[in-house]
Amino acid sequence: MAEFGAYEVGGPAAAQPSVPPLPIWSSEGPSAGEFGKRDHIDHGVTENPYERRFSPYDFNGGTTLAVSGKDFVVVAGDTRMSSGYEIKSRNVPKLHQLTSKTVLAAAGCKTDVDTLTNLLRTRMQMYEHDCNKEMSTTAVAQMLSNTLYGRRFFPYYSFNVLAGLDEEGKGAVFSYDAIGSYERTPFSASGSGQSYLIPLMDNLVTFKTRLDPVPDMTVEEIVSIVKDAFVTAGERDIYTGDAVEIKVISATGVTTELFPLKKD
Amino acid sequence: MATLSSAAADDILNTGSRSNGQQHAAGDELQQMMGSAPHSFMLPAVADPAAYSKQNFGVGYGTDTEQAVQFAKGTTTLAFKFNEGIIIAVDSRSTMGPYIASQTVKKVIEINPYLLGTMAGGAADCAYWERNLGMQCRLYELRNKERISVAAASKLLANTMYQYRGYGLSMGTMVTGWDKTGPQLYYCDNDATRLHGDLFSVGSGSTYAYGVLDSNHRADLTVDEAIDLGKRAIYHATHRDAYSGGICNVYHMKETGWVKVGAWDVNDLHYLYADEKAAAAGGAGGLSADPMET
Repeated sequence: MAEFGAYEVGGPAAAQPSVPPLPIWSSEGPSAGEFGKRDHIDHGVTENPYERRFSPYDFNGGTTLAVSGKDFVVVAGDTRMSSGYEIKSRNVPKLHQLTSKTVLAAAGCKTDVDTLTNLLRTRMQMYEHDCNKEMSTTAVAQMLSNTLYGRRFFPYYSFNVLAGLDEEGKGAVFSYDAIGSYERTPFSASGSGQSYLIPLMDNLVTFKTRLDPVPDMTVEEIVSIVKDAFVTAGERDIYTGDAVEIKVISATGVTTELFPLKKD
Repeated sequence: MATLSSAAADDILNTGSRSNGQQHAAGDELQQMMGSAPHSFMLPAVADPAAYSKQNFGVGYGTDTEQAVQFAKGTTTLAFKFNEGIIIAVDSRSTMGPYIASQTVKKVIEINPYLLGTMAGGAADCAYWERNLGMQCRLYELRNKERISVAAASKLLANTMYQYRGYGLSMGTMVTGWDKTGPQLYYCDNDATRLHGDLFSVGSGSTYAYGVLDSNHRADLTVDEAIDLGKRAIYHATHRDAYSGGICNVYHMKETGWVKVGAWDVNDLHYLYADEKAAAAGGAGGLSADPMET
């Protein structure tokens, strides 16, 4: 290490201020001309020890959005799954239907989302066997919160949005943080593109930037807003795109639409 | 053996107890996963799970902006005793790092009709453990055929927090109620601190609220004056603290239980108090102190 001078053991942070810059070409520097050493240049990164740490989390990208209406709720999630700078698949849905009235939309680390969904489904089946009825949306919301908090010291890397119809048939959307703090809200967006969607929804859905009162919107109006929102997010977020799956939950059931987005 | 091992001590106090993941029997693990067995938390498989958890999954103002997982927090809450009971006032903003996650969070948790808990610090930590406290209070009622005292309820919460000391939980709560001994107010936090007092404010904006409260608090306030004091203190805290804002929710704890007095948008309060100030100053002809204020 002495011949390279600039970098101490422990990495770039310990570099001395007044040191000749590292050679870039093999014809320069202290090893130039020495047989067997010419092509061996340490740029200060590969050879010196610096901390590599295993991270149990991987971020698979994607964005989800849910908007509640008077007697319906619209849930949407894009279908792109990425890891680092690669797109692993263009066709992986993020919406998981839990009951006939409740859908969980979750972005984050796909394996954590899948494990969480499996756990929820198992506990819901047991509830149905014990109580002889389907779990209500509010009950699922509380159970999801408790399940997330059960991993308080090693959280599920899952950004959840729960959407469904409550006991009165009104649209309900619940937003969560990583460890289960939750709140019923008029709409919720999570994932990599949430920063692009939420200000847009604040304007178009809850009229935060306007003085006129919020009207009851129809399903078509909200689905149109949701599509525009995902096109916007797809423009500016690299992890959002390919297609968006839109589900509408209402008293008549759940309808699904796949709306294509740009694939770049 | 003269002393109990810590594992045995944990077994005795089973509710909310924590135990190392590797020590479970296989049957217990399945039961816990299914939610039918008493709680114990999965821990990261590292040498010092407490330190790892505190460092990587902690809840801190400004210190968690680099963390992979950030949690909802940030607050001003206050409560004070006076002759007619206890006033509780809270804001409603929730932040995750620099992002405002919500302006409509409910930071007063209605444990039962005569017990209230406030929420400051980590939102999930507060919501979960205060709901757990509600369960313990209900079990107490069923076992003892009488309502639990505020002192006992706050002690239960403090004991639970003691079990998880060092793990990075963040919770600063006030447990208030009216029991046989009268109106009572306790402060409990994640270090298992438990303090009995007449006036507390908790959260990132608490210092601002204390200034207003301490200047104007008297035991013989009327109910309306006390409510106004609570509102003003929260307003001033939300005005200066970035992590507080939204809506000011006010509750009044009476002998017959708590009542929700009302909810005021702090933005509206700003203009209301500004008008009052201008009206008061208009008589004296003074110039406005802050050029930025309309």
